[in-house]
Amino acid sequence: MTAVHLLEVAGVPTRVLHAAGRGSPMVFVQGGVPGVSPWVSGAHVWGDALVQSAAGHPVWVIELPGSGATGLPAGELSVEMLGAHLAATLGALAIGPCHLVAHDLAALLSLQLALEAPQRVSALSLVSSSAAAPTGDGVENLTLAHPPAPLWSRESQRWALERIVYAHQSIAATLLDACVAAAGAAPHVEAARRMRSGEHEQVFAPSLLRAKARLFAALRDSGLTVPTQVVWGSHDPLTSVEQGMWLFRAIAARQPAAQFHLINRAGALPFREEPAAFVQVVRAFADGLGLWVT
Amino acid sequence: MAPPALPQGRWLDVDGVATRYFEAGAGEPLVLIYGGNFGTGDSASSAYTWNLNAAALAGRFRVIVPDKLGQGETGNPPGDDYTMAAVVRHLAAFMRKLGLRPAHLVGHSRGGYAAARLAMLHHDLARTLTVVNSGTLSPGVGTNEVALARPPHPRGSREGVRWVYENYSFSPAAVTDDWIDTVLATLALPKYQESVRKMEVEHLAARLFLPELAREKRETLQWIADGRLQRPVQVIWGFNDRTAVIERGMELFRLFAAHERDTQLHVFNAAGHFPFREHPARFNALLAGFVARHAGPP
Repeated sequence: MTAVHLLEVAGVPTRVLHAAGRGSPMVFVQGGVPGVSPWVSGAHVWGDALVQSAAGHPVWVIELPGSGATGLPAGELSVEMLGAHLAATLGALAIGPCHLVAHDLAALLSLQLALEAPQRVSALSLVSSSAAAPTGDGVENLTLAHPPAPLWSRESQRWALERIVYAHQSIAATLLDACVAAAGAAPHVEAARRMRSGEHEQVFAPSLLRAKARLFAALRDSGLTVPTQVVWGSHDPLTSVEQGMWLFRAIAARQPAAQFHLINRAGALPFREEPAAFVQVVRAFADGLGLWVT
Repeated sequence: MAPPALPQGRWLDVDGVATRYFEAGAGEPLVLIYGGNFGTGDSASSAYTWNLNAAALAGRFRVIVPDKLGQGETGNPPGDDYTMAAVVRHLAAFMRKLGLRPAHLVGHSRGGYAAARLAMLHHDLARTLTVVNSGTLSPGVGTNEVALARPPHPRGSREGVRWVYENYSFSPAAVTDDWIDTVLATLALPKYQESVRKMEVEHLAARLFLPELAREKRETLQWIADGRLQRPVQVIWGFNDRTAVIERGMELFRLFAAHERDTQLHVFNAAGHFPFREHPARFNALLAGFVARHAGPP
């Protein structure tokens, strides 16, 4: 039922998946740092949550630069570049205000987009995002510190994915197949080459700190006008429940329509680990805001 | 715009207690259990507490809102048994008399305690449990008596009642005239005044109700920690409740989550003790999704 489109966005081939429907559109944006995360991201991470969340409404899945089949734009590989490409892709889709469901790094990008262009976002569902949550001088997280070589092989990605979820059984062979395919695709190969040649330390990591500072200042000073919910797994090895709550608190300071949801026995991929609970929470937010009304 | 009305009230004799309840809709049975207890002189809950939810949810489910023992228009406890145990027994007998199949129990505040207790004593009556801002059920320190101590208005007056509910709520605008009218009407009922006399003049609150609740709460928390619930459960919390702060909801979630795989915590910003009154559309959508996901066989 899903159509795959390869759009040309600002000169970059950008893969977008689409399931047709009626009503307010929902857009999923995946997480993972291209060329760095020991599991390779793309549209495939969402699993069944996509179709179930759709419930007859139009759904789009955007692959960010360096993930899946989306190429890398010219210029620096930074949070700003990824955010700009997300905004440009939404512009190219011309779908009007959408409910953005964003995981991990994409939650940070989506918050930035909602702050800068609130008219383009009807609601935000932010999922398990250490990128968007306050770091708070925490201790080093060792979950993915020493992946087995060769990096991005099937076994190495299995190791990584099993470590970030609550129960390793939730990592299906089909997910691993897709991750391995994404690892061999040109966008990831190119992102990995650039990140390894110093761009991660020199460009990307500083851009992440900059983006977080921008985010928290904006949430504090002007606030977010888009209704936003934060969805977290109770057993996320990458980010604590307290970090999720503090992200919620930062948003809630100026946005009355803010919600926080904790899904039990889920790690960093709650939409794959507890899809029914995840879909229920995402759909209820849209229902409660009246976004389904056509 | 007029507030959504409850349907015409119905009456049922439950072990000799004239019990008023409201019912609307068809399908999965959903029992909404409000908070508070009999014999409080400066506030009074009744089925009206759920008026922004019952009608909306009745479009999809069979919604039942009982007046608890000694509250709303339901009669007072026989034999001066002014205890939470009697309230829970009455609720169980009410559900059995209605012949309900396993229901989705939704309890707010003291009603959350009653609903949890009901589910753990009568598993055959419960399909799921939803607990909303229940300091009574949560471990830790309740701050009702700090936030709501001695309203600066005459007891049971309109201003006094409004002061209590405004301090419960995030936004004073949530406390509508309609709501206050209903509370005042309950307070004025002779049988309610009798319960106030029992609790305060005869000191049943201090002698009986509170000690018995404390004793049974110890047991109830132990039951939860032992994994006795054995049903899907969600904890819903208004973030700005001064009487049951968010940390208590989080702790309650952890207690349930240790045993029940299907446990969720949901937090509503800009909501005090009554998130279902301050954000009814999003609350109803959340509850409807949970109930639909756990619907029983047709």
